Formats: sequence, structure tokens, C-alpha cells
Amino acid sequence: MSFMVTWWLRKYIALGKAGWALIMEYRAQVVIWMMSSLLMVIMLLVWLSISSDGAVNGYSSADFITYFMVGWIVRNLTAVWASWELDFNIREGRLSPMLLRPIHPIHNDVAVHWVEKLLRLGIVMPIAAIVLLLTPEVHLDFSPLNILIFLTSIIGAWLIVFLSDYLVGMLAFWTSQVGAFINGFFGIRLVLSGAIAPVAMFPSAVQEVLRWSPFPYMLNFSVDVAMGRLMPEALLTGLIVQWGWALFFICAAWAFWKIAVRSYSAVGA
Amino acid sequence: MRYVRLLGLFLKANLLVELEYRANFAAQSALGILWAGLTFVSVAVFFTQTDALGGWTYEQALIIVALFTIISGAVRFILEPNVIRIVEMVRTGAMDFVLTKPANSQFLATLRYAQYAGLADIAAGGAIIGFALHRMQYLPTPLAGIQFALMLISALAIVYSIWLVMAALSFWFVKIDSLSELFYALFDTARFPVTTYPGLVRLLLTFVLPVAFMTTFPAQAMLGLLDGTTLAVSLGLAALLVLFSAWLWQRAVLGYSSASS
Repeated sequence: MSFMVTWWLRKYIALGKAGWALIMEYRAQVVIWMMSSLLMVIMLLVWLSISSDGAVNGYSSADFITYFMVGWIVRNLTAVWASWELDFNIREGRLSPMLLRPIHPIHNDVAVHWVEKLLRLGIVMPIAAIVLLLTPEVHLDFSPLNILIFLTSIIGAWLIVFLSDYLVGMLAFWTSQVGAFINGFFGIRLVLSGAIAPVAMFPSAVQEVLRWSPFPYMLNFSVDVAMGRLMPEALLTGLIVQWGWALFFICAAWAFWKIAVRSYSAVGA
Repeated sequence: MRYVRLLGLFLKANLLVELEYRANFAAQSALGILWAGLTFVSVAVFFTQTDALGGWTYEQALIIVALFTIISGAVRFILEPNVIRIVEMVRTGAMDFVLTKPANSQFLATLRYAQYAGLADIAAGGAIIGFALHRMQYLPTPLAGIQFALMLISALAIVYSIWLVMAALSFWFVKIDSLSELFYALFDTARFPVTTYPGLVRLLLTFVLPVAFMTTFPAQAMLGLLDGTTLAVSLGLAALLVLFSAWLWQRAVLGYSSASS
């Protein structure tokens, strides 16, 4: 058992180091890609224009600032692009050598995605921290238990975002139009995960449906945890639903991959 | 006249290519309509909580959403396909083949390609305008119609100039293919009335980055709320930017010394 752990650890350290070199090479690009998360700042400004006259659906101006700043961090931690590379590698036949390696190609993507988050955190965290420190009446729950739950929810959110996106990317085994699917799914995720508005702002019927879907657990749920907005009961239900979806996507990605690789016939050499 | 004929030929050639890749056309069109819907939702969600956004009612704000979608469509239709290729051609040296052709290089480089799926966005934007006007039971007067047409043309000219500047910059800074991300990040502010933003941001979006001239002011024109000064400023700004970007393009081309030689 411990042998397996060190074996994987060594693999991930090696992949992570190579990934870090890659990310450093493209550091300017990473910063530019981060620009797309500025939409959350725009949405925050618009919400603030409404909340200046008083709380909106239970959210004061300080709540909106907290929501969007923490949400901005969560969004950057769950930024994904593996589907684009998967699509490219499948179309160009580059997947073939990757399949011959002793470990599954997804591990490389996971490692690169995580080291890239170090760079993003280094940029986003100081900005968000300064904004939050300058805002009076920020409510964040820093109890050790809540921090632990928050980190658990982040990992859950990351698994759901990364694997659902990876599943869309796998469509490239059958169609060459995956770019449109990836982009469309990105947009749907943007709106339904709470990146443009707290889900609490949606009509209640929509909220009721979304509660059982994977979308709020990609972003909104983690922010609610950080802000201590959830009663213990809702918190527990949320964690169960989130990790239920995470497990679902792990199984779905695994099963889908098995089927897909069988139908894969490389392009080119 | 020769250029009009050339443009017609380009559009026809692109259409033939498009017909060859119908699945791509269908997927990209569906994507455009989906994004139009998502933009709609991202603005409509505010009106579940309030009656006005920066002094604009729901129906009025929808005109801005429509213009945002139409301009995005125009970018996807003409600008993006061309500018992406320009950046690529500068990198590989294939720009030689554009510069040696017997026609204006800016014309050839920026209007040669088209992605017809962008028309789906434009159609979706038109539908949103129709929906909003119908809900308001409002028909623009002929004067408002003319003002709107002028404002829309200057908005498109401003956007064209910005993309041309980005293309020209790629001659000096080769690794620039993510500039479009930058454009979209800033253009995202155009989906709301500029009056929604706090003072400093509003000034920035009006006078430094001409985002207000892309959607807010043209929408005001359609609603008959535009004053003559803004119209004149908008036309002047558009003319200025068109001239500046053309000048920058000329400078860029003159300094170009292929990639391989």
C-alpha cells in the first residue's frame, strides 16, 4: 500500500516538475487566459450598483464582494483546458504515443492543471485578500473545521469541473466538432455554477432543480461554505450531493474512456 | 468598384468552403445562438431583483444585449477568422503572399476570410431587438433609425480598428495570439449599460476604452435618447480610429521582413 503511494507520489512529482517548466514557459499566456475570469469582477460591479440601495435577496454589498472575490478564487482554482488538448491530440493522432506510456495520459493533465493553479493563486489571492481587507463587514468563517470543509469542497468542485470537461473532450473520439461542445459547456457552466450571480438570485423553481444538478457544486457551494451561509444540515447534504457527483464523474470518465479507446483509430502515423 | 467585386468573390469562395464543412457550420451556428441566450440570461437575472439597471429598464437593456450579440457576431463573421490568420501568417512568413498580391494589403488581410456561422449571432441579436421593441410597443422614428444606423456603423468601425491594431501589433510582437482574449475580456463590459458602472470605471469605458460607443450609445440612438454631440463624437472617433489603425498597419507592413529569409 505505502509502496503504491510513494510510486504515485514520485510519478506526480516528476509530472508536476515538467508541468511547472511548461507553465513557466507560457506564463504570459496564463495571465491572459486568466482575463476571462474578469467577467466575475464585471458582474460584481453590476450587482453592487443594485445593492447600494439595500440588500438584494439577503445579500448586502459586502456579501456580494465576498461572494465574488471568493468565487473568483474558486473559479481560478477550477480553470480547465484539458478537453482542448485532448481534442487536439485525438484529431492529430498524437494520442497514440501517449497511450503507450505506462500511466494513463490523464495523470499528466491533472499534474499540469494543479501546478498551474500555483501561478494563478499567486496572482489572485493577494488581489482578493486586499479587496476583502478593505471591505467592512466581510463575513468569512475561519474556524478550523470550516476550513477543512472548504478545502474538501474545493477538491470536489475541481473533480466535477475537470472530469465533466474531460468527458466533453472525449467526444473527439467520435466527432471533429468538439470545440463547439467544449465552448458551449463552458458557457452553461459559467451561468449555472454561480459565476455570474449567486444561485440564490435565480427564481426559486430554477434553484430547486439546480440544487440536485452538479453545477452549483462547481463554485457556488464552496463560496457558501467559506461564507458560513449554510446550516449544518444543508452543509452535510451539499457535501454528499457534491461528492456523489464527483464519484459519478470519476466512474463515467473511466467507463467512457474504456469504450472510447476501443473505437479509436489513430490519424496519421 | 474592383474592390466590391473582389469582396463579392471572397464571400462566395468562403461560402463554398463553408458548404464543404456543414457540420462545422451547424455546430458553430448553434454555439452562437447558445451564447446569445447565455448573454440574455446574464442580464435578465438582474431584472428578477430590480426594475432598472443604471437607469435602463429591462426592455431597454435588451437592446444593449442585442447589440452586444450583433457585434460579437460581426467579429466572429469577419474579424476573428482574418486576424487569427494574419498572426499566423506573420509567424510563418506566409504574409509574403498577401503583400505581393496586386491589391491593398489591409483589404486583402482583413476581409479575405469569413465564418458564416457569425451570421447566426447577428440573427439572434436581431430577434432580441424585435422582442424588446415588441414588448415596449415602440417603433423608432425615421430620425432615430438613421441615428441608430450611423451609430452602428461607427461602432463596427471602432471594433474593426481595434482588431486591425491587434493584427498590426503582431508584426512587432510575434507571440500575440491571445490578444483576442484581451478584447473579449474588455468587451464583456459592453453587455450592460455603461451607466451601471461606478464613476471611474464608467469614465474608463467611455473615454479610454470606447466600450460605451459600441453598445450603450447605439442603443440610446434606437430609443431616440441620443443627443447630437454624442453622435458627432462617435462618428469622429470612428473616423480617427480607422485612420490611425490604417496608418499603423502601413507602418507594420513596411517594417515587415518575412520570417524565413
